[in-house]
Amino acid sequence: MSSLEESSLGPSCEFQENLNLLRQTHFFSGLPLESLKVFAYLCVRERLHAGEFLFRQGEDDHQAYYIVSGKARLERNENGHEREIREFGAGTFIGGLTLLGETRRLYSLRAVEETVCILLSREKFTKAIQQFPEQIPRIIRIVVGSINDWEDRFLAELAADCGGCLPRLGVSLL
Amino acid sequence: MAAVERPIVKRSLLSWVFDGNIGWQITLLGVIAVAVFTRVLPLEMQKRIVNQAITLRNIDLLLLYCGYYLAAVLVSSACKYMINILETLISQRVLARMRAALYAHVITLPLSFFRNTQPGTVVNAIVNELVVPSNFVSMAMSTPVSNILTLLAFAGFLFWLNPLLAAVSLSIYPAAMLLIPFLQKRANIANKTRVDQSRIFSGRIAEAISGIHEIHGNGTYRIEARKFNKMVERLRKVRVTWGLYRFGVKSTNNLFTSLGPFLVFILGGYLTIKGQLELGSLVAFLSAQEKLYDPWKELIEFYQVHQEGEVSYKRTMEFFDATPEHRLEPTGRKPLELEASLDIKNLSFVTESGIRLLDDVNLTLRPGEHLALVGFSGSGKSTLALCIGQLYDYSEGHLLLGNEEVAHLTRKDVVSNVGIVAQNPFIFEGSMAENLLYACEAAAQGNGAPGDGRPTLDDIIAVLHQTGLFTDVLRFGLNAFLSPEKHREVVKTITRVRRKFQEKFGERLADYVEFFNENQYLSYSSVAENLTFGAANREEFANVHLSRNDYFMTFLDKEGLLRLLINIGVRLARQTVDILGNLPPDNIFFEQSPMSAEELPAYKLVLDQLRRRKDQELARDDYLRLLDLALRFTPGIHKMVGLGEDLQKLLLEKRARFRAGISQDLPDAFTFYSQNDYIYSQTILNNIFFGKTKTSSTETQETITQNIIQLLIEKDLLETIVDIGMHYNVGSKGDNLSGGQRQKLAIARVFLKAPRVLIMDEATSALDNKSQARIQNLLETRWKRKSTLIAVAHRLDTIRKFDKIAVMKAGKIIEMGGYDELIARKGALYELVGRK
Repeated sequence: MSSLEESSLGPSCEFQENLNLLRQTHFFSGLPLESLKVFAYLCVRERLHAGEFLFRQGEDDHQAYYIVSGKARLERNENGHEREIREFGAGTFIGGLTLLGETRRLYSLRAVEETVCILLSREKFTKAIQQFPEQIPRIIRIVVGSINDWEDRFLAELAADCGGCLPRLGVSLL
Repeated sequence: MAAVERPIVKRSLLSWVFDGNIGWQITLLGVIAVAVFTRVLPLEMQKRIVNQAITLRNIDLLLLYCGYYLAAVLVSSACKYMINILETLISQRVLARMRAALYAHVITLPLSFFRNTQPGTVVNAIVNELVVPSNFVSMAMSTPVSNILTLLAFAGFLFWLNPLLAAVSLSIYPAAMLLIPFLQKRANIANKTRVDQSRIFSGRIAEAISGIHEIHGNGTYRIEARKFNKMVERLRKVRVTWGLYRFGVKSTNNLFTSLGPFLVFILGGYLTIKGQLELGSLVAFLSAQEKLYDPWKELIEFYQVHQEGEVSYKRTMEFFDATPEHRLEPTGRKPLELEASLDIKNLSFVTESGIRLLDDVNLTLRPGEHLALVGFSGSGKSTLALCIGQLYDYSEGHLLLGNEEVAHLTRKDVVSNVGIVAQNPFIFEGSMAENLLYACEAAAQGNGAPGDGRPTLDDIIAVLHQTGLFTDVLRFGLNAFLSPEKHREVVKTITRVRRKFQEKFGERLADYVEFFNENQYLSYSSVAENLTFGAANREEFANVHLSRNDYFMTFLDKEGLLRLLINIGVRLARQTVDILGNLPPDNIFFEQSPMSAEELPAYKLVLDQLRRRKDQELARDDYLRLLDLALRFTPGIHKMVGLGEDLQKLLLEKRARFRAGISQDLPDAFTFYSQNDYIYSQTILNNIFFGKTKTSSTETQETITQNIIQLLIEKDLLETIVDIGMHYNVGSKGDNLSGGQRQKLAIARVFLKAPRVLIMDEATSALDNKSQARIQNLLETRWKRKSTLIAVAHRLDTIRKFDKIAVMKAGKIIEMGGYDELIARKGALYELVGRK
């Protein structure tokens, strides 16, 4: 939505900016430029006001987000009670898993202030990655690595405090 | 004709000759009789001219005979032309009727037939294989009659001139008649193989095209090409063989007929020298004999067409000679009105290969009861549902619908009582309205014939609301264009809605809509729209024609814009080709591109030229292509290049210059955007906005739509817009709709039919939560006790309120009862729910 502002900056264009930002995300890093260009091109931008939802708990919103500027809060509704989980700022990439398959959101994400983000839909991602099938294993490796790293970190940092949650752990064993 | 009653696959080719064409065939015969006479007459005249007029030196006689000659030639030509016309008429009539009959037959064949039949096979049969047979039918009477008559006439004439000479020169024909059928038999065998190969060939192409995503996905271009080449090769060989024999027939025939004059010269010459034959008679004899070739050749050709036609026709009909599993309509009674109870006893379904997909299923449902079928995929849920809908034929046991054995019912009985929402509903090309009425029209009357029993507009709108399709249809309507001829009144109201809308939501909307502001460069409008800032009233000023419009081009040139725009065009072309150059022509890749997939190769060539020519001028066509691209450039959508602020400012200045100029030179060419006028070149939505939307977020669009609905209701315009939306074309296979919209449409068309028995096979799997909940709620409130429901469930959180739940495993029902009862039992359902 912010295209007017960005494009007035002169020769730089949204496509170039998207390309630079995607390269910095773990998910897309390491993809060859040829395929990265297609993803950067397929992205769209949205501007959200404070209080607007990026996605809602329980829905499959079919897209991944990169927060360009602003701040968004992750919330979870538990039996009618809103719980704040954490906040994400500029530079966060959320939703790599959504691109790979249907998932229902376990959280809601809501802008806390004026937020600009880049969106890539699952449909576009799927069609585009089919054009570069040799890259699929690389993406799967990155996702698997991330899940493993996450649990590794969780165990190292929080296992001692988590009390009764230990028997439920093991997402990396999936 | 009794023949009409027989299924087309049982009819002989000859049965088509007179069926419905008697009048035409008789007319054709009449014309032929005249034609034959006019063909013989010139010969007699020829003789008289030589023997009487020339020999007696009588000018009057010469003129008289030449006059007859001329008249005969003219009438003969006219007859020939008429014969052609009549034959074309007959063959096209027959072709159309054969096609219609075969198509009508093919679509009634059971589903099992199509498991082994590719769509391409049907296409090939209906489009290609019936052409030769229909040509034969048009010739079937006229050609043999006319040519045999002509042959006899000439032969008689020859005998009349000189019996000996005639007998000798005609002796070649019996010889030809011995050899030709022998060759033709060979050709027929090759032709049979050709028909079969073509059928496989077409089927194979259709299969590859419908699986094109797999080919792209797996990169199996070479493998597919190799498979195809093998078939091309086989078809080539058989066609060559066929051709060799066909032309063998022609050449043999030609050889024999060429021997004719040889015999006449040698014998006739001898007789004339000996004074036993007049010179005039010899000349007439030679001419008459030459005239024998044409009818003879036509007879041989006719013989070939007959043989080929028979082969194509028989092969095609044999292929489709299957009978529908069920009678389509009852005879002598109306379709049954069945009680919506279901009684299934020891039901089994065994496939041809012996797999038991259903195994001893027992089940009863009272009218109005709701049953959910659950279980893993492959457990037989869908098979059971399809058996109830008569789409599969069960092998053993009983399936009673309202105490009638389903296997014995006609399709019409079932269709009148049962509605099915398939797992992957198929939506046909046509408007939303046509698709919505698809099921209930067929149920209400015969097969598509107009009549009463149609739902009212209110019914339709109610169902649209129930299924959540209403906002979709409304949005289709809002995205439509109006025409000044048809919508003059509507347009006035919309302009009023616009004002109201801006008063109410103007400020809030500014985030989502870019208004048509005269003093601002519009990122969501094209460069061309930014320059003209108006709707063209003349075709030549429409956006797509601007680069071919002299006035506009002179303007660009005078204002020094040409070079700038070409530069933008070059940048756009380079970037787009760089990003999209190797991608397939999928719509999803080109939505955000200024060039379409079809144009991409042309722009690749332009860029090639640009690289090679360097400083030299581009060809005018290439130059205009680049200009077109720049004029289409909409920076808000096409993000691959930026449009600098200076350039925007410049274009804004030029907008004012253009307006000033054209208002003076051609005041009626444009209607400039103004708050008070409707803009016909923009959609209804853009007209209400007086701008263009900037967001692709569905949530925002939803909010905007809700606001617009309010205003439309106030102005009593909602129904009009919905009606326009109902004319929206869903595209081939419903491609213009999303997966969810297709499924909602499939549910809506069954709800509209309101059947006594409702079968839903994972009918809501593509819907979002809200829509799914809405449909679920509807089933529990509106349809409970009214219609018996058999639902194949894909999600277990939707089945709580069903009267009965049947858990299936390996073709058997292993558990059945109410939800709470089964959960309490801690059996299979309990396990399934836990697993989820």
